[in-house]
Amino acid sequence: MRQARGQAGRVALPIVLGLGVALCQIALAFLIARLLVTLLGFQGGGWNELALAGGLMLLSAGLGLAQEMAQQSAGETARARIRAELFARLLELGPADPRGVGEKASLLVDRVEALDGFFARWIPAMALAVLAPAMVAIAVWQADWVSALVLVCMGLLVPVAMALTGIGAALEARKQLDVLGRLSGRFVDRLRGLSTLVQFNRTEDEARALGVAAEEFRWRTLRVLRVAFLSSATLELLSAFTLGYLAWRHGALMTTRDAADPTMALFCILMIPGFFAPLRAFSAAYHEAMSARGAAAEIAPLLEAPPAEGLLLEEVPHRVALVFNEAELHYPGMPRPALSRLTFALAPGETLMLVGPSGAGKSSVLRLLMGFERPTAGRIAINGQDVTRLKPAELRRLSSYVGQRAHLFGGTLYENIALARPGATKAEVIRAAESARVMSFAARLPKGLDTLVGEGGFGLSGGQAQRVALARAFLRDAPLVLLDEPTASLDPGTEAEVMAAIAKLCMGRTAVIATHSAALMGLPGRVIELGETKLASAHVG
Amino acid sequence: MWADLARVLRLWGPRRRSLVAALFVAMGSALSGVALMALAGQGVAAGITAGGVFGLAAIVWVRPMVLLRPAFRWWERMASHAAAFRALADTRVWFFGRLAQRMPGGIGLRGSGDLLGRIIGDVDALDRLYLGGILPACAGFAVLVAIAALLAGEPWLMLLVVLPLLLALSLPLLLAPAAARAAHVAAERRGLLRAAAVDPLAGLEDTLAANAEGRVLARLQSADASLMQGQRALARRSAVAGATGGLLTQLAILAALGWGLTHGSAAAGMVVLSLFLAVAAAEALGLMPRAGAALAAAGAGARRLFEAADTAPPVAEPAAPAPLPKGNELVLQGVTFGWRADALVLEGLDLTLREGERVAILGPSGAGKSSLAALLQKLVAPSAGTIRLGGADIGGLAAAQLRTRIICLSQQARLFDDTIAANLRIAAPDAPDAALWRALVKAGIADHIRSLPEGLATLCGEGGARFSGGEARRIALARALLPPSAILILDEPTAGLDAEAEQAFLATLATACEGRSLLLITHRLTGTEPLDRVLRLAGGRLLQATA
Repeated sequence: MRQARGQAGRVALPIVLGLGVALCQIALAFLIARLLVTLLGFQGGGWNELALAGGLMLLSAGLGLAQEMAQQSAGETARARIRAELFARLLELGPADPRGVGEKASLLVDRVEALDGFFARWIPAMALAVLAPAMVAIAVWQADWVSALVLVCMGLLVPVAMALTGIGAALEARKQLDVLGRLSGRFVDRLRGLSTLVQFNRTEDEARALGVAAEEFRWRTLRVLRVAFLSSATLELLSAFTLGYLAWRHGALMTTRDAADPTMALFCILMIPGFFAPLRAFSAAYHEAMSARGAAAEIAPLLEAPPAEGLLLEEVPHRVALVFNEAELHYPGMPRPALSRLTFALAPGETLMLVGPSGAGKSSVLRLLMGFERPTAGRIAINGQDVTRLKPAELRRLSSYVGQRAHLFGGTLYENIALARPGATKAEVIRAAESARVMSFAARLPKGLDTLVGEGGFGLSGGQAQRVALARAFLRDAPLVLLDEPTASLDPGTEAEVMAAIAKLCMGRTAVIATHSAALMGLPGRVIELGETKLASAHVG
Repeated sequence: MWADLARVLRLWGPRRRSLVAALFVAMGSALSGVALMALAGQGVAAGITAGGVFGLAAIVWVRPMVLLRPAFRWWERMASHAAAFRALADTRVWFFGRLAQRMPGGIGLRGSGDLLGRIIGDVDALDRLYLGGILPACAGFAVLVAIAALLAGEPWLMLLVVLPLLLALSLPLLLAPAAARAAHVAAERRGLLRAAAVDPLAGLEDTLAANAEGRVLARLQSADASLMQGQRALARRSAVAGATGGLLTQLAILAALGWGLTHGSAAAGMVVLSLFLAVAAAEALGLMPRAGAALAAAGAGARRLFEAADTAPPVAEPAAPAPLPKGNELVLQGVTFGWRADALVLEGLDLTLREGERVAILGPSGAGKSSLAALLQKLVAPSAGTIRLGGADIGGLAAAQLRTRIICLSQQARLFDDTIAANLRIAAPDAPDAALWRALVKAGIADHIRSLPEGLATLCGEGGARFSGGEARRIALARALLPPSAILILDEPTAGLDAEAEQAFLATLATACEGRSLLLITHRLTGTEPLDRVLRLAGGRLLQATA
């Protein structure tokens, strides 16, 4: 919970407001006691006190409202900061991070939301559970020190009682409650595999089994809850005992010692709910803190890892010469390197085609050049400079990259192309779209380049998406062109069209193209065949 | 909202008895709290006014109440949770059955991937309807009735105390619809935030290639800010409701005191009593206005659940299914299909898979290969064209019977959090261990499982997490091989495997299939597959592959 630091200012406000509420409650209890005493025939207050009590109630409600909103805002600030940091971190890790998109999204959205309880409620509740009862005890001390002592003892007994009913057990219980209590473990598992069950015609059996499992889970959960509820019942018992004892004490005191002003006796009793309320809030916030802790455990390693380092690029060079010297990429835990000891040199403006079966390391070469991975051995140099000295994001400024599966972002076609160079003019975007033959299908779309595509938009075919990605590469106008199986998702008709566009893109630029067949590409340039017989170099075209 | 919640209550009908019983316990628990406070107040008041038999009796009665109150509270929570768990379990089972009918291809087969997460959250939110809405309302009502009865001697005092409390009790009903709207806005914005997070991550390579990190971060932050604005509106509502609830219970205290001031010391006993009653009621009723938010959340959850449960089944079952034909030749003619009307995936596709033939269908992702598998399983229906099995149109066959003949090992095939044996027996419930081992041998994983200390009884973990990707796929393959189906469809069986595991897996196919027809759907071949024909899917049709 290191993120809690630096939040001190934000968290202090709700605590101060909460103490204000407690002060109001103390004053209110005193006023009510005075009014009651008046009714019982003693000297006390009148309508003025009643009006004052009304005012205090409004003030207390207002402070309570302000406290809640302050807690909300403390939670918001903390979540916003953590979410932004986490997202930046995930982007920095890039495709090397093995987590799936769904998992990352759940980290960013749900897990960060789960932290809210920690910042918004747990920290203030923790402070108020100590400070507010202490304040009440001091006030009661002025009235009757024995009552105050009883309150303090009972207050101190709360954590002891919680420990006795097994705070460890309760802790474990909460954890189990999360897993079993929602009865959802098996339910979720089977729901995720619904299609598998449908395939084997087992849904009805499984529904029946779910019912049986739910019954069993119910028993186990209730056994756990029995203990968890016991600790809250102890709190209840302590508060009831305090009330009973103080009522007995002050009732008895009054009958034996007559005519003393009973205001203080009533005040002591009226303060009891106010004394235990923060302790109740504390025990309620406890569960939230537990689930937040789980979320924090998943997020913290990501945030605490050192950020990527490296030099910045002063300006993007116009021409790029590329050298691979015994470069190797070996993923940890894999028996063989994904790319083994590759050496070649590429002059500015030259085109290199990498061929070979899948798994031979074609994509690895591109991933290394994009900074998605760092070479585990050997050296890669661009214009004589070692690429690992550059920050990965800076390395990417050198290249236009078209992956195997072009992603269309939610937005218009125009926005999808302009993404590659935010400063581009409209004319430049349209020119890029024309060069990549995007216009040939965009013209038939309902709104041309302003048609919405991607999630929730118009569905484009794989080949059309590929051409949008090529348009991005044209617009980007970078000196190094990296293409990964650029025609894999195209039918033969479009393939020829797109090949012409690719040839145009590679002209005058240094290019590396991964492909399953160099002949299919029909491009002039060098060919390196990767695989068992590595480094069979040849020229075509 | 109310209609959806009423439907939830109807679903809970069979558990009526335990649910209602827990309500009574909750009422008793709340009343014991009132009794404790009232007795303590009476005792003190009696002490102050020096004596009175009632006062002494009150002091005596406080003692058992001190023990009774926590005991009642504990019992209430046990009884209510037990009842709620039962009812929720029923809801899950009902819901599971409904989804199996309506979404046979799995949740989120096509469309938003967070549907599953939402459904799970929504089912869990339903317990708030009972534990956070109905239960406290009943307890509050009981308290209110008890207070009214105790103060019946002074009708005006009673009205002054009860009216604000009654308002606090009914506030959730008044606040819920507006809270529901605010909750809806917040939920929608959370969806937008998810989209802002998912889109750049799904296209991570393209995002990075465009050096767009700063821009997507800014977009995420603005979506985040708008979500928080929505949440703040919701929190403000809840805070105002909470403050109002607190004020109303305190208003009852003020009213009692004011009434006392006008009536002088003769009425002191009643005022003390009503004051302590109001303090006790604060606990039961003060939080009620917040229940509006719980009701709203449960209502929104119920609405989404029923929406999913009420989607029409994708393929209607024939009223009088034809018997399964003898032959196993699969013929597709002019099959046209699209997940959306404006984007066809398959256009006039023709394919013949003869009995015992092994055919591979190649094509990049998104070309419609998985749609083809879904069509053959009757998870979706073609918009044009016919699919025939042994000469009979599969539209006229019962889906459950068809699926005994055609088995598909899909990309979504899941290993459940159970033993290996239980996972295999999903395909054939009565299969003896020997049959399980035979299937495991064919899938080339038997040796590995024999080496595990617990053998077939080894737990697979959620989603097969106990095993590596390749091992899990092989166990899933063994499961698909277990029943004697005539046609086997393998949809990207090696997705997620490294090249070596992929080759080893595909090499075992010849022994695995022995005699069955095989349709291998994949985006690339390694050259080791034992195949009769290779076709390429492009532009919604099948072509003879060139390479």
